[in-house]
Amino acid sequence: MSPYIIETGGLTRSYGDICALKPLDLQVPEGEWLSVMGHSGSGKSTLMNLVGGLDRPTGGTLQVGGENLLALTEDGLARFRRNFVGIIFQQHHLVPYLTAIENVMMAQYFHSMPDEAEARHALERVGLGHRLKNRPGELSGGEQQRVCIARAIINSPKLLLGDEPTGNLDHKSTIMVMELLKELRGEERFTVIMVTHNQDVAAWGDRTIHLDDGMLVREERMNCQ
Amino acid sequence: MIAVKLIPHLLAALCLLLVLLRCFASRRKSVLLTSVCGLSAGAFTVLLLRSMPVVSPYLLLKSLLGVGFLALWGVSVAVNYRKNAVALDKNEGGIVSSVAALAGTLLAAFAAGGIAIAKLSDTALATFPPVLLLLVVVIVAVIVGGGATFLEKQLSPRVTITPVGMVVAVVALLLFSASSILRLDLFSPLSMKVMKGVHDLVHQSMESVLIPDHVFVRPVVWKYIGFLFGKEVGFWGGMVIWFTPPVLIALAVSSRKLPSVGHIRQGAQRRKLLAGALREQRLQLLLPLFSLCVLAGAAYQSSFPTVEYWDPKPIPVVANEGGMIILPKKGDILLEDGKIHKYLFKQKEREARFFVLLTPDGQLTVDLDACAICKPDGYGQAEGSVICYYCKTLIPLDTVGKPGGCNPVPIPFTVKDDAVVIDALTLINTWGATVQATTRVKEGGK
Amino acid sequence: MKRVIGLLSAASTSPAVTPIVIGLFFILYIVVAFFTDETLIALMELTRKSIILTTLLALIPLGCLCRMVQDIRRYLTLRRCRGGDVAAVATELFDETVELSPQSGFSALEGHLQALGYRTGQQSGVLSAWRGVSLLPAQLLFTAALGCFFTGVILTTTLRSSDRRMIIEGESMPTPGGGGGIVERISLSPSTGAILAKELTMEVGGASAGQRKELFGLYPPSLHGGAFVYPRYIGISLHVRFFSPEIQSGYENHYTLNTFPPGKEDSAVIPGTPYRVIFSIPQVESGTDRYIAYMTGKFPLQFKLLKGSEAIFTGSADVGSNFTKEGYRLELLDARRLVVTDFIRDYGVFFIWAAGILLIAGGCVWVPIRLFFPRQEMVLLVEAGQFRASSRAEGRSRAHAELFHETLDFAEGAATGGSER
Repeated sequence: MSPYIIETGGLTRSYGDICALKPLDLQVPEGEWLSVMGHSGSGKSTLMNLVGGLDRPTGGTLQVGGENLLALTEDGLARFRRNFVGIIFQQHHLVPYLTAIENVMMAQYFHSMPDEAEARHALERVGLGHRLKNRPGELSGGEQQRVCIARAIINSPKLLLGDEPTGNLDHKSTIMVMELLKELRGEERFTVIMVTHNQDVAAWGDRTIHLDDGMLVREERMNCQ
Repeated sequence: MIAVKLIPHLLAALCLLLVLLRCFASRRKSVLLTSVCGLSAGAFTVLLLRSMPVVSPYLLLKSLLGVGFLALWGVSVAVNYRKNAVALDKNEGGIVSSVAALAGTLLAAFAAGGIAIAKLSDTALATFPPVLLLLVVVIVAVIVGGGATFLEKQLSPRVTITPVGMVVAVVALLLFSASSILRLDLFSPLSMKVMKGVHDLVHQSMESVLIPDHVFVRPVVWKYIGFLFGKEVGFWGGMVIWFTPPVLIALAVSSRKLPSVGHIRQGAQRRKLLAGALREQRLQLLLPLFSLCVLAGAAYQSSFPTVEYWDPKPIPVVANEGGMIILPKKGDILLEDGKIHKYLFKQKEREARFFVLLTPDGQLTVDLDACAICKPDGYGQAEGSVICYYCKTLIPLDTVGKPGGCNPVPIPFTVKDDAVVIDALTLINTWGATVQATTRVKEGGK
Repeated sequence: MKRVIGLLSAASTSPAVTPIVIGLFFILYIVVAFFTDETLIALMELTRKSIILTTLLALIPLGCLCRMVQDIRRYLTLRRCRGGDVAAVATELFDETVELSPQSGFSALEGHLQALGYRTGQQSGVLSAWRGVSLLPAQLLFTAALGCFFTGVILTTTLRSSDRRMIIEGESMPTPGGGGGIVERISLSPSTGAILAKELTMEVGGASAGQRKELFGLYPPSLHGGAFVYPRYIGISLHVRFFSPEIQSGYENHYTLNTFPPGKEDSAVIPGTPYRVIFSIPQVESGTDRYIAYMTGKFPLQFKLLKGSEAIFTGSADVGSNFTKEGYRLELLDARRLVVTDFIRDYGVFFIWAAGILLIAGGCVWVPIRLFFPRQEMVLLVEAGQFRASSRAEGRSRAHAELFHETLDFAEGAATGGSER
C-alpha cells in the first residue's frame, strides 16, 4: 500500500494550445498539509482541480487515495468527490437563501443524508453554535468561511482542498480560520492542499511547492507554527 | 388484427422475462433458454388442449394463476415476518436454488405463453396451417426472449431484483395478461366470491352474537349493515385482496430495520451506511409499486372488459286466455339459432324478464333473465358462455338451464306445434320469488 | 430435550401462529368454494366435524395465552434490567445493542440523559433511562381479546345448538325442555334506541305457582333454561276454517304465517287437496308504521285461493269475519301474534362479547399511550471492562434512536476527553 495519498506522474493539463500544467510529478503523504504557491496563472488552481476530481488531466497519471482518477467515469468522479474530498473556496459559494445549518446539511444531503444534530455539532466545532439560523448575508466574511469549513469537513473527507480560502479575509480572520483548520486537521487527520499566494498562509503547511507557468519550480519544508 | 390483440400480452411477457433475467442474472443463459421454451410450451399446450374437449386449457391456466396469486399472498405475509431475511435482500444462491429458479421461470413463461395464445379465438387460429402456427409461436417466443435480453443489458447494474420483487412482478404481469380474457380473469370471480363471503360472514357473525334481524333494526343502521351485502363490497373487498400482497411487500421493504450504526462513531460513515440502506430500500420498492400499477390495470380491464356481449332488447309478450305464453320457434325470430332471445312479460303491475336459448347440446331452455343470488341485472352472451352483468360470473352455455349458483333460474316449459309454451303464472311467480329474494340481499336482508 | 422445549416455546409464542392458522382456513375456504356456494356454512360444518380443524383453530387462543405469559415475562425481565440485574440484560429484549470499548462515567451520562428528558436510575453497574408508559396493558388486552374471540368462535362452531320454536300469545312458552309458562302478551313498540327501531317484549307467566313472570326482549338476549332466547321473525298464528265444493264439511286448522312486513306472502296449504291460500297483510299507507297491525293486534288480511296453479279468487277480510264466493267459504276465526324464536345454547357468545369489550378497552389504552407517551428505554451497563448500551422503543423509535446515538457519542466523547456539546 502506497504511503502517499496523492501520486502524480507527468500530470498535464492543456486548454487547446495553452498548457496550464506541464508534466508534474508529485507525491503527497497521507496527513500532510501541502501549500501550493505561485502567481496568477501559474497552474495552482488547475492542479487543485485535477487532484479534487473537478477536472480531468490531458496527460500523465493521477492516483488519489488509491483511485486512478483517469479511469473513473463521470459518475465515478462525482462519487469520488462526494466521499473523498472537501473543498473550501475563496468565494464561499454558500447558498444565500439557506441558513448556515441548512448549507451544511445540503452537503450532507449530497453525500448521503442530512442529519441536523451532526450539522449543528459541526458548526459548533467551528465556533458558530450561535449562528445556526443565520443566512450567509447575515454573517461576516470570517464566519462565512467557517461555515464553508464546516461544510467541507461534515462528510469526513480524506482530502481537504483550499483554494485561497483566506483570500478575502482580514488578518485576524485569516489567523482564526487557519487555527481552526489546524485544530480540525489534528482531530480528523485529513490531508490538506492549500492553494495560496500568501506566504504567511503557506507557512501553516508542512511543505510548500511553488509553481510557475505550470511547472514545479521549488519545494520547501516548513517548520510548524 | 391478431398482432394488435397480442401486443399487451407480448409486452407483459417481455417485462416478465426482463424481471426474471435480472433476478437470476448469474444464470442468464439458462433462464433465457428456459423462458423461451416455457413460452412456446405454454402456447403449444393451450393449442393442443383446445382441440381436446376433455381437459379445458382455461381451467389449467386459471388454476395456475390462482395458485400463483395464493403463493404471492404467502410470500407477502412471510416477508413481513422475515423482514431481514435473505429472501428480501439477496437474489443469489441460498433460498432460491438453481432448480427452483429454472422451475419458476418455466412455469411463469408457460403461463405467459398459454395466456397469450388463449386470447386468440378458434376462428383466428384456424387461418394458420398448424405447422406454420407452431413455427410462428417459436419465432415470437425467441423475439420476446431476445428483446428482454437486450433491455436487460440496458438496465442500470444498480437495479437489482430480489426473489420477492420478482414473484410480485411476475404474478402481477400474468394476472394483467389474463384479465383481458373473460375465462381467465381472476378479479371478477374474486369480487363475486368476496361479495358472497362477506355476506355469509356478516350474516353468520350477527347470528353468532344473536343480533336481531332487520325487522327490528333502524332502517338507517340497516342501510349501513346492508352496504356489506352489496356488489360494492365485493368489488372493494376484491380490490383489497387484489392489492394487499404488493402493499404488504412494500411495507415489509420500507419497514425493514435499518442497519445498526450505533457502533460507528463517525457521522459521515453512519449517514453513508444509512443512506445506502435507504437507497436500496427505495430501489426494492420499485417492483411492488410497479406491480400495484399493473394489478390496477388488470382490475380495470376486468371491470370494463372490451368484449361485446350479445344482449338483445327484451321483446314484450302476452299470455293467451289460458294464461300461456306461446313463442313460435321459427318466424321473425329463430329461437334455435344458438343466441339468447330475451322477452318481457307484463301482468298488471308485475313483470318478468326471461330468455330462450338453444344450448350447444341442442336442448332448448327457458330461463329468467336473473339468478337466485344477484340483483336481476340480466345476462349477456359472449363466446361459449353467458355472463351475469351483476357479478360478472361466466356461465358456460352447456350449463344454462341447470339451476344453482349464478345460473339463470330455469322455467318449466313445453314444446307444442313448433312453439315454446310457458305458463305465465309460474313465470311471474318464479320471477317474483327470485327478485324478492335477491332484492332482499341487495337491501341487506338476511 | 431442552432444544425441543425451546422450539415449542418459540412456536407457541410466535406472532405468526394467528395469521398462519387464518391463512390455512382461508385456503380451505377457497377449496370449499369450488364445491359449494354456501362456502362459509360448509366450512363451519367441516370444522365442527373435524377434530384436526378444531385443534388447528384452538392454536390461536393457546398461542395468545402463551404470548401473554411471554409478554409479562419480558416486561418483568426489563424491570429486572432496570433494577440492576446484569444477567437479565439480554440483547433480544432490545432493538439495538452496541458495545463500546471505552468506559464512561455514569454520573455524566446520567446528567446527559436527564437533560434529554429521560428518567434515570443507577444500580450496581447498570444505568437505565426511560420515559413514557409501557404498552404492555394494551398489548395484553389486545391479545386477550384475540384469544377470547377465537375461543368464542370455537365454542360457537363446535357446541352451538339451535332449536327454532314459535312463541304464540296465549300458548305455553315452547322451551326445549318443556314446561314453560303461558305467553301472556307479545308486544312490539317503537324504540328510542340508536340501533333498534322496535322493542319486542314477550311476557311469560310463571310455569308453576310461585314462579315469577319472565320478560324476554331483543338485545341482549335473555337466557331461559340455559338457552338464549333469540327472536328472529314476527308473524301471526291464524285460525282458519275453509269450505269448498269438494269439502262441504270444512277444514279447520291453525297456521303460522310469516307475513311481516305487510305485503309479504305466506301460504296455507289445505292438506290432501290442490287448494292453497296465500295470505298477506295489506301494504300500509306511506308514512305509517309498517308494523301497525302487529302493534295493535288487529290484522286485516288479503288472501288468494289457488287450486293448483289456477287462481280461484282473491279478496280481503278482517280477522273474525268470513269471505264467501262461488261455493267457497273462508272463515278467519282468530289471529294471534307470534314470534319465530331460536333457543340457542352457545356459551361462545360470552367470549365473543368479552372480546369486543377487551378490544375497546385495549384501544382506549393503546391510542393515547402510543401517540403521546410511548415507552422508550436505554440500559447501559459495564460488564467485564466492556461497556454495553441497549435501547428499545415502543413508539417514535427513530427519534429515540437518534438520542441513543447521541448519548453514545457523548459517552465516548466524555470517555476519550473529546469535545462535548
